[in-house]
Amino acid sequence: MKIVIAGGYQAADYIIKKFKTTSNKLIVINESREVAQYLTKSNQIPVFYGEPYKYFVLEEANVEDADIFVALSKIDTDNYISCLLAKKVFNVKKCICIVNNPKNVDVFRDLGIDSVVSSTQLLATSVMNESSLEDLIKTMSLEDEKIVLTEVVMKATYEIVNKRIADINFPKTGNISCIYRKPSVIIPNGSTIILPKDKLLVVTTPNHQKEVLAFIQKSK
Amino acid sequence: MKKVTPKKRSLFKNKTLIIGCGRLGSSMANKCSLEGKNIVVVDKNPDAFDRLSDAFGGLTMVGDVTHLDFLQEAHISTAKEIIITTGDDNINVFVAHIARKIFDVPEIYVRLDSPENEVLLKGLAIKAIFPFELSYDKFNVLRGGRK
Repeated sequence: MKIVIAGGYQAADYIIKKFKTTSNKLIVINESREVAQYLTKSNQIPVFYGEPYKYFVLEEANVEDADIFVALSKIDTDNYISCLLAKKVFNVKKCICIVNNPKNVDVFRDLGIDSVVSSTQLLATSVMNESSLEDLIKTMSLEDEKIVLTEVVMKATYEIVNKRIADINFPKTGNISCIYRKPSVIIPNGSTIILPKDKLLVVTTPNHQKEVLAFIQKSK
Repeated sequence: MKKVTPKKRSLFKNKTLIIGCGRLGSSMANKCSLEGKNIVVVDKNPDAFDRLSDAFGGLTMVGDVTHLDFLQEAHISTAKEIIITTGDDNINVFVAHIARKIFDVPEIYVRLDSPENEVLLKGLAIKAIFPFELSYDKFNVLRGGRK
């Protein structure tokens, strides 16, 4: 894979180390001379010195047709422009952009950047996932929070325990995608019986998560 | 995020939003104000408004234009035209894209120092002004096409 890493200091260093293999071709661009020198030294790879939001810098670095472009600079608008140039002019397949202002996540996405990452937003999401639900439940969001995967541990007091899935009339708005029963994983069908201490992995949309969870946790 | 379509654009029919109050922004604001236009000028730095003449009759606002909330505060959604003149091409292009893709401002003008950035405006009906090219053209006119 051809990966372009534009800007950034520690983050750039980390990503270079992670992806520096023979199958990946890394192109590193940095606008600070000191950082560029440091990255060259610490990773033994060439680093282009220049602003990644300038047309001629990207041209010189030969980013044409790269698979992934990662913009790690500290300034949000700089990242936006470099991603856009990479995508529109240099035909890069996928752009990932870091933003400092979490409100820019939606804005950048609306303006056409494939993937926008904000560390503050990630932090907020994990705080919410850890705190808002009970201890027994873990949730994970996929596809920009359009799908929610929820993990629920079965208690003997629940109404659906010790019954066949076909008989419990599970809500149409969710689906039990997988059951973890130590030490094996079961892909359930109608005749699977739910036992106490089973871990259910349930797929729902965020809007229906509460309703489906309420159904699962209904006591006898 | 949904596209904002202002219903009452007619209320602010003549409002011109000028982003950046540097030499270009302030002189535009001064001139537009003399023409009797309804103007809002925004800049990050409150001292920038010192450049406005005493006759300037518009509104000034201090804030960061890369924040969507601030642009909304400056009534971007009801502006008839927006003139973007900050000294940073990246910010200018970004604000122009927001003005077109999120708020759909009817007329968008943007200052670009680097002509290479024009590709980023393709197909968006955003009009670019290149001060350096204009100077060069003027220079050519002044010397009467001599080489």
